[in-house]
Formats: sequence, C-alpha cells, structure tokens
Amino acid sequence: MALGSDVRDILDLETPDKDPVTKESLMNDSKKKKARKSDINSKRPEGMHRELWGLLWTDNKDSPPLVPSDNSQGYKQMKAKIGSSKVRPWKWMPFTNPARKDGTVFYHYRRVADEGKDYPFSRFNKTVDVPTYTDLEYQQHLHDDNWTRLETDTLFDLCKRFDLRFIVIQDKWDREKYKERSVEDLKERYYNVCNTLKKVRAPPGTEPKIKVFDAEHERRRKTQLTKLFERTPEQVEEEDNLIAELKKIELRKKEREKKTQDLQKLITAADSNIDNRRTDRKITKKKLPPQKTKEGVSNPETCGIKFPDFKQSGVSLRSQRMKLPASIGQKKMKAIEQVLEELSIEFNPMPCEEIVQNFNELRQDIVLLYELKLALANCEYEQQTLKHRYDTLRGIKTEVNMDVTPSCLPSTPIPGETGVSLLSGTPIGVSSTPNTPLIQVTESQDDSPTLKKGGEAVDVVGNADSLTTPNRKRKAAIEQNNLLKKIKQKP
Amino acid sequence: MADVRQEPTIGSGRIKGLTIVKPIIYGNLARYFGKKREEDGHTHQWTVYVKPYKNEDLSIYVKKVHFKLHESYPNPNRVVTKPPYEVTETGWGEFEVIIKIYFNDPNGNEKPVTFYHLLKLFQSETDIMLGKKSLVAELYDELVFQDPTPAMQQMLTSVRPISLGAYKHETDFDEKREKTNNNLIAAKNKIRYEISELNERLKFAKQNISKLKKDIAQIEKVDDKSIISLIPQ
Repeated sequence: MALGSDVRDILDLETPDKDPVTKESLMNDSKKKKARKSDINSKRPEGMHRELWGLLWTDNKDSPPLVPSDNSQGYKQMKAKIGSSKVRPWKWMPFTNPARKDGTVFYHYRRVADEGKDYPFSRFNKTVDVPTYTDLEYQQHLHDDNWTRLETDTLFDLCKRFDLRFIVIQDKWDREKYKERSVEDLKERYYNVCNTLKKVRAPPGTEPKIKVFDAEHERRRKTQLTKLFERTPEQVEEEDNLIAELKKIELRKKEREKKTQDLQKLITAADSNIDNRRTDRKITKKKLPPQKTKEGVSNPETCGIKFPDFKQSGVSLRSQRMKLPASIGQKKMKAIEQVLEELSIEFNPMPCEEIVQNFNELRQDIVLLYELKLALANCEYEQQTLKHRYDTLRGIKTEVNMDVTPSCLPSTPIPGETGVSLLSGTPIGVSSTPNTPLIQVTESQDDSPTLKKGGEAVDVVGNADSLTTPNRKRKAAIEQNNLLKKIKQKP
Repeated sequence: MADVRQEPTIGSGRIKGLTIVKPIIYGNLARYFGKKREEDGHTHQWTVYVKPYKNEDLSIYVKKVHFKLHESYPNPNRVVTKPPYEVTETGWGEFEVIIKIYFNDPNGNEKPVTFYHLLKLFQSETDIMLGKKSLVAELYDELVFQDPTPAMQQMLTSVRPISLGAYKHETDFDEKREKTNNNLIAAKNKIRYEISELNERLKFAKQNISKLKKDIAQIEKVDDKSIISLIPQ
C-alpha cells in the first residue's frame, strides 16, 4: 500500500508537517477520541428502577448498543505502524570512554541526534574508595606486630585492584613473600586500618561511623560450616537417629507429665467429692432437699460428665435433663450402664426433679470412679515396673535378693496408716479379670457387704486396658533393654 | 407438683425466674384379640395417650396433641384437640409413636414439645397373650415451663379438675418415685464411699511411685559414679 508519504519520501520531497517517529505514535492508535454525545435524554424515565437506570447509564451516558460496538483490538498487542514517518539516521563515529584512563578512541554507530554526548555506559564504572595512609599515620596508629608495613601496603594495593573482593585478594596473595593469610585475616587487617584511620581523621568531637567486622565470629562460623560440610554419611545418619531419639524422649516426658497432672486433677475431684458427701449427709439429716439441689449445681467440677444447663426460657421435658451428653465416650457410657445394672437402677428412671438430680450426680460419680480406677491401674502398673527395676538395681549392686513378692510394696518403710487403707480398699480391685496380674494387687480382706458388689462393678481392665497393653509391653521391654545395656556397660 | 419458686420478675414478655412444672403421663394400653384377625392380620387393639398426672384439665393450656403413627397407617398424623388426648387403633407391630404437644399461647412463644413412645403390644406373660388382661406401658415425665409468658402463667395456674371422682393411674408413680429416689441415694453413697477409698489408694500409690523413683535415681547415680570410676583414665 503505497501511501502519499512514501511517494514523497522516494522523491525526497519535504514533508514539514510530519512529526518524527516516537514510540507513542508507533504503538498507539487508540487515541481516536470518541466524540461523546451530549447528555441528551439523561433523565431517568418515570417508574424505572434506580439500579436498572444505573446499569444502563453509568458508562458513557449512552444507551446500550444493539450490536457489538467494540472494534478495537481488545487484548491483542497493538500492531506497530511502520513507515508512516521519517527514520532517524545512524552514524559511524569515534568516542572515548571516560571510565578509561588512557583515552583510547573507539568507533561505534550512534544516532545523529546523540552526537557529542558522553558515552552512556561509563556511569556503570563504579570504584571502591580504598583509603590511603601516610608514613606518619602508619607509624603512629597503624602499627601491628603481626603485619609488616610492606604486607599492609600490598594488601591495600590488592584491595584497590580487586575492589575489595577478598576472595580474589586472598587468591592473589603472595604466599612466597608473605605468610599465609586467611580471608578473615585479610579482612580483619583491612577493616582495622580503615577504622583506625577514620577515628584519627575524624574532626574532634564527632563520632565516625565504624565498620564492624568480628573476625573471631567469622572464623568460627566458617569452621562450623566446614565441619557441617565434611560430615560423613554415617555421622549424618547418627545425628538423625539421635534427634529422633531426643524427640521420643521429650514426647514420653510430656506424656508422663500430663499423666501426673491428670492424676492430680482426679484426686482433687475425688477430694471435693468426699467433702460434698459430707455436706450431703448433713443436709439429708436435716431434710432440706431444695438446698441440696442448689449445692449440687454449684459444684460443677466434681466429675466427668457435663450435663447441659437448662437456663433457656420455654417449655421442656424433665427427662431431657437426664440425657447424657454426646461428648462422653463409648467406654464411659458402657461403664455407667454396667454399674447401673449392678446397682439395679433403671437407665431411665422416673424424671421428677429430685430423681433427675440424684441420678445425674450418681452418674457423675460413676464416671469419676471409673477414671479413678483407670488411674489406679496405671499407677499400680507403674509401681510394679519401678519396683522391678529397683529390685534389679539393688540386686546388681549388693548381690542380695530383696525378698519381696511382686504384689507387695517395696521394702522402703511404709507409713502404717496408708498401708492399712490400701488393704482395706481392695474390694475395688479389679477382680473380674483374673488374667491381668498387674492390677490384681491384693487379696480381699475386707468383706463389708456394701462394698463387695460395687467393687466388681467397674471392669476397668476389660474395658479400657485391652487397648493399651501392647504398648505397655513394649515400654516394659524398652526398660528391660535399658537395664541390660546398663549391666553390659559395667566391665 | 406445680411448685412456684423464687420471686418472679416481669420483663420482655416472659416472667423471669418463674418455673412451673406440670407432670404428665404418657404411654399405651394394648389388648390382644386372642388370635390373628383374618382380614388384615392385626392382633392387638391399642390406645396411645397423654394425660395429666394430677386431676386437672390439660386443655386450658394445651392447644393440641399430635400423634404421628407408623407410615403404614392410613393418615398417620392424628391430631387431638381436646381431652382425652388419645388415639385408638389396631395393629400387629410395635413402633415408635412421635408425640408433639402444642400449647395455647396467643403469641406462639411457647414452642411445642416432642417426645417418643415405643408402642408396646407384647409381653411374655401368657395371661396377657391370651387376652385376659390388657397391657399398660406408661411413663411419667414433667413439662417444665421455664420463664413462661404472663398469658401462659395465667393458664397454667388456673386449672380445674377433669373428673369429679377419684383420679388414678395404672401405675403407682408416687411409690415408684419414693423407691427410685431411695435407691439412688443409697447407690450414690456407695459409689462415693468407693471413690474415697480409691482416692486414698491412689494417693498412696502416687507417694509410693515418687519414693521408688527417688530411690532408683539414687542408686543409678551411685552406679554411674562407680562406672565412671571403673573407666581407665
């Protein structure tokens, strides 16, 4: 498509009205300004919704077109329009690079318009300002027993030459002439000199900015990195193992701590329960049931079940208040059922206020009892393990067999009172599963009839411990292993 | 049983702090035909009901009672608007009846109460199987009106008896309540006694464990020392 301008170009005719090409003029053709229609008809017709009107009239205050009206190129790259104006000529010309000291003349093509301007890339030639010192300054301030004057001079010379690239400087260090210096040594000397000079030269009263370089730290860091890098695969593996072990130990420790905490909580709960019972008894003697109700409510921490509070206004059925919350687990649920059955109490007794209250409290107590039993079983197991370990240790040490049956308590002195209570508490011992010797602690010596029945009510081992036994066995095995190791260690 | 506790304070359409309790009885009667009925295979006639525990007219505050029967019954949604609140049907199987009590509240503030009753037809005793005696399966429950509206309170407190004669139930709930409660208290004491016993044992065990641990630590310390002393320097 030969345009008039091309013809004129060929014929070398002047086209004074043409602007020289710019990026704008090349790329941009969307400058065609749309003549905006004046705001005719910009009033909202009667009865039209404001939102609809807004949709129709916001953009360009124009009624929406019937056919697609966007004929621009959309997202496509604008095509450059080439050839519509004059080109800018290039010229082969000489230039000098100001970054060079020698003033050598080179040639290159350049736009005619830029003729005579400085070489633009010379500004990238950055130099480092390496300080210099006079003989006097050196003698007065910079003397170092470890560095000769000549060596320092060489260092500063290299610093200037290689723009403080200390790795290169160290590489170029003359090892025959001077003694071997590490990168840190070089850096340390350089920065010390710089800092001293700065301090000396600073006008009195002002504090110069000091560059901090901790050579010792750098050296340590590098040795550490080297060590890390030079580990053998075996060492890496060992480290991993050790870390894993450490994690395990910490986990176990946490677990143990948590257990003791839980235990403490249980004991507190049981204690408060006993207190409760005392007050309960007093009240029953006095026959004041309404007050008792309140007291029970004010003691929510007594146990493991949280019955929902019925504080909401409205009608509800009393029996709803006996429903066990879903949060208590299957095991506890089962335990409760079992005990209730033993005690021959209905699962859903007649729901009047007093009964609901008592029934809920009873079940809370049952859960507490259940938890106590679990805790006790755990404790007794732990006691056994410790005992065993203790015996073994003692046996090794003194070669004397401590004659203690496993069910008894260790030979350490026992306070008489507690010893008795332990024995008298036995009816609660888990006697329903004879094949778990760990928890079968003592023979039943107390045969008070009230206790007997309840004693067999909660079958702790059958319900809960079956899951944990393999774990325990493993633990015990580990303990044994440790013990063996210990024995082997002894020469 | 309708006891009123605490001084009520009136505010925001409800009387705060007021609780009114209305005991009710619900359940079913069942009578065995003595044989399977030819035409539909039904074996029992039963009546499911909701009635007040005390001799009073529920209809003052109850708008209607909705019994939802098993889907296989024609028109399983039975609504009873006046006493006696009961549905009598025949059938051959037990199922769960959904009972919903709607209240007479002008503003609809009191939501209906829903509960379930497992319809009971069969009992192992042979005399009932033979149709001699009808079977009763009824339960006691209480409607608890927490912070009722003034209108509701008015209705709940101004009740009148349904029948002039003696009002009795098949089951003696008073006796049952007494017995259950005594049982519960006895059981509670028993469990609490056990708890205190266990607690003592647990405490003792804990003491023991810490003691053992200490001893072991001591021995191990000595051991370690002896091991160290054996290592050639």
